[in-house]
Amino acid sequence: MNIRLTFTIIITKFLIFMLRVLKSGGTSLPGKVARKIYPDIMKIISKDFRIIMVTGTNGKTTTTRIIGKLLDENNIEYITNKSGANLVSGVITTFIESVNVFGKSKASTALLEVDEAAFNVVTDYVQPDILVVTNFFRDQLDRYGELYTTLNNVRSGIEKSPNAKLVLNADDSLCASLGHNMDREVLYYGFSDEAYTGNSTVVNSDASICLYCKSKYEYSYHVYGHLGGFSCPNCGYMRPTSKVTCVKINELNTSYSDIIFALGPLKESGEPVSYNARINLPGLYNIYNALAAASLGHLLVFSPDSLVKAMESFECGFGRMETIQTNGKTIKVILVKNPTGFNQVLSYLLTEKQNTQIAFVINDRLADGTDISWLWDVDFEQLQQMQGNVSCFYTSGIRAEDMAVRLKYAGIHSDKIQIEKDYETLLNKALDAISEGQNLYILPTYTSMLEVRSLLEKKFGLKEFWK
Amino acid sequence: MYELNICHLYPDLLNLYGDRGNIIALKMRCNWRGINANVSNISIGDKFDAEAYDIIFLGGGQDYEQEMIQNDLLNEKGEEIRNAVKNDKVFLAICGGYQLLGSYYKTWDGKEIHFLNALNLWTIGGKERMIGNFVFECDFLKNDNYDGKIVGFENHSGRTYLGPEVKPLGRIVKGYGNNGEDGFEGAIYKNVYCSYSHGSLLPKNPALADHLISIALKQKYKDFESLSIIDDKFENLAHDTMVKRIIG
Repeated sequence: MNIRLTFTIIITKFLIFMLRVLKSGGTSLPGKVARKIYPDIMKIISKDFRIIMVTGTNGKTTTTRIIGKLLDENNIEYITNKSGANLVSGVITTFIESVNVFGKSKASTALLEVDEAAFNVVTDYVQPDILVVTNFFRDQLDRYGELYTTLNNVRSGIEKSPNAKLVLNADDSLCASLGHNMDREVLYYGFSDEAYTGNSTVVNSDASICLYCKSKYEYSYHVYGHLGGFSCPNCGYMRPTSKVTCVKINELNTSYSDIIFALGPLKESGEPVSYNARINLPGLYNIYNALAAASLGHLLVFSPDSLVKAMESFECGFGRMETIQTNGKTIKVILVKNPTGFNQVLSYLLTEKQNTQIAFVINDRLADGTDISWLWDVDFEQLQQMQGNVSCFYTSGIRAEDMAVRLKYAGIHSDKIQIEKDYETLLNKALDAISEGQNLYILPTYTSMLEVRSLLEKKFGLKEFWK
Repeated sequence: MYELNICHLYPDLLNLYGDRGNIIALKMRCNWRGINANVSNISIGDKFDAEAYDIIFLGGGQDYEQEMIQNDLLNEKGEEIRNAVKNDKVFLAICGGYQLLGSYYKTWDGKEIHFLNALNLWTIGGKERMIGNFVFECDFLKNDNYDGKIVGFENHSGRTYLGPEVKPLGRIVKGYGNNGEDGFEGAIYKNVYCSYSHGSLLPKNPALADHLISIALKQKYKDFESLSIIDDKFENLAHDTMVKRIIG
């Protein structure tokens, strides 16, 4: 028996318990403590697990959720870091929580969401057997440095994980590059050229030039952001062939997306087979998340039926799109954290045809990104089309005033913009302004989501977030 | 009706940290006053005729994108830009764009990269980034109702130094500014305005936005006197809230 290991596990488990009793929700501290007492702890307790990691800028949590559902469908017991504790300490805490005092667990699989900036450091402690990467977009640059630094960090984490199979987004030139000329198993997912034809121009793209030779990419089709059928006219780097592909979108609405996806054969030749699925969350970006999860399932040779089932029945993650009912009215909370994600949420809002109220809650704490200039890269101009069915756009949070300015310059009439810093007043006003059967949308950044959530929890008994 | 032609140089590549908000601010503040504002996007390989424009904007980019435009900027558009500066054309350049207008950039390990040399200023790369909200004060904007304070967000590792004929845009009240040493921020030379302020700079600092619009209109129309006053309630609120938070 390893006494030091047992001692560390007991101390850490006690800490986790205490923090929970105190309702602080602090999910990273125990991991820090464990690492202090026993630096090698991860090597020992993670060795019996098959480890699946999900990283990338947008969609980590949702993708992790769908994969979780997929594992459920296939009766695989797994551990996961559900509450978004996705830095090194959170990952460690997740393992320690799941093992007994001898460092053993009932579960054989670990499903971990890992922050893209932390992934490299995480691989110093524990390496994935399969890595799923969603995408790379500009996100909180003041904290993480430049986009290419983030990409290279993930790349070096992959180098430290020589046995990891990769599941990559074919439509993202940055993400796909992680598998370029890579001598290991890589499975790509993406949209086919005919699946979506909504966007023709690539404006304000995060990656318009070739990663290898700096020529401007050409696009044969474009989904959103820099995602699409890219190819470099100079060096030939191009979108790799995807094995899991969205080939048709039957319907996009405010509650779900109905798609046809094709699964290519894993080995040898053969024709891809198509399946129909209704993805339990709206928005183009969630189609990508579902494809990423399906790819993981395909790689593990799960039945296509279970892929479809998981897409149709997963529950969405912490703050990603949560729905609360009150007196026949619906409050929808959708986390926003970077321009591409925000734009996707706005195009989703445009599908709302009823009378509605929208609240933007913008904070600038470290976890939100201290630089809020990215709000100027979001196309709020598209909200002009909604001025007919939105009587008021509320702005709140620490940077409510900046958000109000942004809306004004997006062409929203000043009379329709209201700064309301008190969340409770905001909630009451906005709910009063809609009728039964209508929706109130609250779009918070990360830390304001925690604040809004705790108010909703108090008022409407929303479940606590580590559950 | 007055009309301004605004040129956004390399909008697809130099577009860091919401710099395009400056273009939006110039355009909207013109529109609200009934001044027609046209925005042209000019990028790599596009013909650039400075005379066609009244305000030229150059934003910042990531190192990678900046390297990418270097050849086009220096060899294809450089002469035109230098002439336009000489001929009093109105420019706004932010961060990387500001550095590119200078004579060179020396990396922290001693490599010297030649830039446009349109303004006598130069930049030395530093290992540490100067990041954060900051406030500086512009004398030329001061009047009875306005203390000339500008608020923004800086994020740069380059330290910029000004030659004798180039004046700073303002004096740092809180933050780093050009180099974190001499207490100055940005640069003014003829009608060229440069700053490290992302954020975006103009929307929350309407006095500076209007200053640029005014000098551009003065250049173009002999009969132009001054801009009409518009409601800046939200702009002033955002500006004042941040100034108060930063300098206390």
